[in-house]
Amino acid sequence: MRIIGPDELIFGVDNISDGRAFLVDYGLDETDSRGDEGGTFEAADGTAITLRRRDDASLPPPLPTATLLRRTIWGVEDEATIEAIADELSKDRDVVRTSDGMLACKDDTGFEIAFRVTRRRKLDLPAEMINSPGAKPGRGPNIVGANEDAPAKPRTLSHIVYFVPDMDVMANFYIQRLQFVVTDKFTNTGPFLRPQANLDHHVLFMIQTPPYMQGIEHLAFHMQGPTELMLAGSRMVKKGYESFWGPGRHKFGSNWFWYFNSPLGTHVEYDADMDLHDGDWIHRETPMGPEQAQMFLFENVEKWMPGGPPGKKD
Amino acid sequence: MGVPARRGIDAREVTAPLCRLEDLAEGKSRGFDPLGEGRDTMFVIRRGGRLYAWRNHCPHYDRARMAWKKDEFLDPTGSRIMCFAHGALFEIDSGECTLGPCLGQHLTAVPVEIRDGQVWVTGVYEPGLRR
Repeated sequence: MRIIGPDELIFGVDNISDGRAFLVDYGLDETDSRGDEGGTFEAADGTAITLRRRDDASLPPPLPTATLLRRTIWGVEDEATIEAIADELSKDRDVVRTSDGMLACKDDTGFEIAFRVTRRRKLDLPAEMINSPGAKPGRGPNIVGANEDAPAKPRTLSHIVYFVPDMDVMANFYIQRLQFVVTDKFTNTGPFLRPQANLDHHVLFMIQTPPYMQGIEHLAFHMQGPTELMLAGSRMVKKGYESFWGPGRHKFGSNWFWYFNSPLGTHVEYDADMDLHDGDWIHRETPMGPEQAQMFLFENVEKWMPGGPPGKKD
Repeated sequence: MGVPARRGIDAREVTAPLCRLEDLAEGKSRGFDPLGEGRDTMFVIRRGGRLYAWRNHCPHYDRARMAWKKDEFLDPTGSRIMCFAHGALFEIDSGECTLGPCLGQHLTAVPVEIRDGQVWVTGVYEPGLRR
């Protein structure tokens, strides 16, 4: 099944303006503003976060937990994939065609999901340009790398992570019914999964939790590279947003990360430079822990320099 | 096993007031960094003429920070404390989590008192950042 990855996540929140401020500062573009009723906030390729009021009648019912996520919309390559998913999932559940062309249902742990032909626009953008001895220069003479004014815009919705009451039920649904592939696994926590039409190390990960925790743990957008991730994260800190974890670099997936708290009641992550895998990859497995979760971890601090101006130190 | 405090910051008595009482707005939260660690490690809510002070640690994860932005520790209705890591809600007065990942667990209280119109932390205050 040619599923690409998450296309759009829909949240039901109490305060649209807080969510809007956060997502715009995070770097998404509001493309469908509905004022106090919500808005859609897009990355460069059209993948998006949509906010609606918690009591919006168009939303599917919420989970009985604290999570504000109301629906995960998966993008697929073509209508044939939609048909194949409809055939497969209608065997044992209600599958609804929505007025806006989606196939909607619940997964096996009760999350509201939907599928549509992707809205992703093909991106043609440069990678982060670096100069490395022995390699052809990424930046020619006189092209400066440290540009504080450079834009730092999320390019595409990378992945989502759920808290799930039963990781085996959850993983089996995506593996057996939707043909996702396990790329790596934290024992007793959950697998990293990628779908058939995407080589990214993971578009979906899950963490086994008690039922009262069910919900979204975090979502992430891909940035151009580590420098853009640092730039975007530093700007968030400067604006007063709460850095939760990072910057650092994960082991599984190799992606750089920086997580922030958000008014969406979930962490919102910047990531960059994730591994790609194909069918030849054999998944690794390890218990989850700080040593396994990251290759290194940094923390943003106030700017400082040796021999800096007097009067700052105590 | 003893872990050295980050950048030489040790638990100690806080020798300066957090702020003046009149600087705290009714129904609002505000974060403080009593040991100068570079991040708010506690917050105070003024409600109904009383102060409620809690460590900025969600009991869900070790030293999980709670606000979504500087000083923003309350849910949109202002009636409960919210952890913007995963949406957990807490009673302002008891610190009990009533919905979310740390259901039934409690925030850690910070003893504060008002002296001469100023808000003071009383007793020894532990550093709050991850080490």
